[in-house]
Amino acid sequence: MSAIQKILGIVWAALGVGIIPLAIMRAMAEIAKKPSEENWIFWSIVIVVLMPIISFSLITFGVFALKGEYDSVD
Amino acid sequence: MAQNYSASHSEEVSSTRKVIAASSVGTLIEWYDFYIFGSLAKIISEQFFPKDNPTAALLATLATFAAGFVVRPFGALFFGRLGDLIGRKYTFLVTLVIMGGSTFVIGLVPGYAQIGFVAPAIVFLLRLLQGLALGGEYGGAATYVAEHSPDNQRGYWTSFIQTTATFGLFISLGVILIVRQTLGLEVFNDWGWRVPFLLSIFLVGVSVFIRMKMSESPMFSKLKKEGKTSTNPLAESFKQKDNLKMVLLALLGATAGQGVVWYTGQFYALSFLQNACNIEFVQSNIIISIALVIGTPFFVVFGALSDKIGRKWIMMLGMLIAVLSYGPIYNAMYDTANLKNKVEIKEKTVVEHKATVNGADSLKTTITKKVFEDGTTYKETKKEMFPVDAAAKAALPKDKLKPDTKKEVVLPQDQFIRMIGFVFIQVLFVTMVYGPIAAFLVELFPTRIRYTSMSLPYHIGNGVFGGLVPLIATRLVEASKEPGYSNPLSNLINGVTGHASAVAGQADPLAGLMYPILIAGVCFIIGTVYIKNKPTVIDGE
Repeated sequence: MSAIQKILGIVWAALGVGIIPLAIMRAMAEIAKKPSEENWIFWSIVIVVLMPIISFSLITFGVFALKGEYDSVD
Repeated sequence: MAQNYSASHSEEVSSTRKVIAASSVGTLIEWYDFYIFGSLAKIISEQFFPKDNPTAALLATLATFAAGFVVRPFGALFFGRLGDLIGRKYTFLVTLVIMGGSTFVIGLVPGYAQIGFVAPAIVFLLRLLQGLALGGEYGGAATYVAEHSPDNQRGYWTSFIQTTATFGLFISLGVILIVRQTLGLEVFNDWGWRVPFLLSIFLVGVSVFIRMKMSESPMFSKLKKEGKTSTNPLAESFKQKDNLKMVLLALLGATAGQGVVWYTGQFYALSFLQNACNIEFVQSNIIISIALVIGTPFFVVFGALSDKIGRKWIMMLGMLIAVLSYGPIYNAMYDTANLKNKVEIKEKTVVEHKATVNGADSLKTTITKKVFEDGTTYKETKKEMFPVDAAAKAALPKDKLKPDTKKEVVLPQDQFIRMIGFVFIQVLFVTMVYGPIAAFLVELFPTRIRYTSMSLPYHIGNGVFGGLVPLIATRLVEASKEPGYSNPLSNLINGVTGHASAVAGQADPLAGLMYPILIAGVCFIIGTVYIKNKPTVIDGE
């Protein structure tokens, strides 16, 4: 289980890093395609609120998992 | 000796019951306050936002609604810190007063027609206050009850706090329905929608009175007496690696998935019934209300079960079943109400036309009523504006000329019961993930920083991940109208059931589910791999 936890730690950290450019590029493309009020509100919430929380928590969690911080788990 | 034990045991049980009752009533009222805003989202969008673009108004309302969720973690930090510094009792008394006050004031704010953009700005600020208050309330109530509960019954006792969110939603729907039925639709849409907000001040008054009589948590009192309370709960909670790793585990392995399951099963289900299935307002609210009433006792069932077999697997199983079954359940809900699957009795179709002239504008209203062989009835109200003057017509924005169409489907009894069943199954998932989670969270953290440490992951999971379900799901459904759109979930379901894929230009009703499925799926994997299932003993240090 410890090995799986560590390998998955790399996955979570990579996901956390990968989400940042993906979300920003998608937001820019969507707003450029249709610069409506709805699009601005929606993508602002995603970029300012959701993305930082997901990225930070996944990266930090992934690094902890990779270092074996959760080894004591059943 | 035996008699002494029996007397002291029954005293202990009676005192725990009082603690739970007093905590639960306050938390219940806070949830009621918080959810009437969501339940009245459509009317609020009409009252506080410009009417030119109903979709933008609804999205702006949902964004305001979401803002209340997004600030919850800040409330968790602010009030959590206070709770760990000065005590649980006074902190969650303050949150209750802030919540009740801001809810009451929302009921007094003049509409967009009277004060323009100041109206949505005030509502937005009050909504932020509601979110901050709720951020401080739940952690306090859960911690307070947990610190009064015996180790072997913590899941059972805290599960009563867990019922309050669903019960608060149920009461908010009930009050809205009663007020709407009593005052009539026209009066309700005009000013009657304010009554549920104004009513809050009385409920909060009663709850504050009850809570004033409560004593501080015994564990916190002991720490305080010994001078062992934390001097900086925020730093201890989030700067120390050993605690931060548990905060992240709680968020990514439990509360994020729980949040999306909670909001999908209760809020998105209502939104789906009203917007995708076009079920009439009263019938859709009754469907949700009955499912909530039948489902609510299961919070206690799963809370108590978690004392016997551990918290982890109940929560994980709830998430897994939700991920696997949302697609088929929502597809079945859509099919049940889909008029294309029903045979119309053409001779019973009635079409009425009305035309009214208001100044330079002419309003044409067309009402079409249809009856189907299975007993379903359908009413479509189409309103079109026609400026009498051709020059005025050319100057009007296209949105204003677009007909405003309202569709209302009323299901026959058998399909109504089936719909309750579909929502009940989702509420059952909610009870599995939510019933044991208060006990799970309080057991992860030490008493000195428990309020702060458990409140943050709970409110990020619930408030941010869960609270954004309606906004993100609505946006995903809108995006599904674009050409070239493809949804793997819909493709899978259509492949299995043989249904036609979503038509270009038309919304894919299942598109909104992708978000909760993805979040709950990742959370299930993290929870399964990293969370331990050992019963934990909490102490006063």
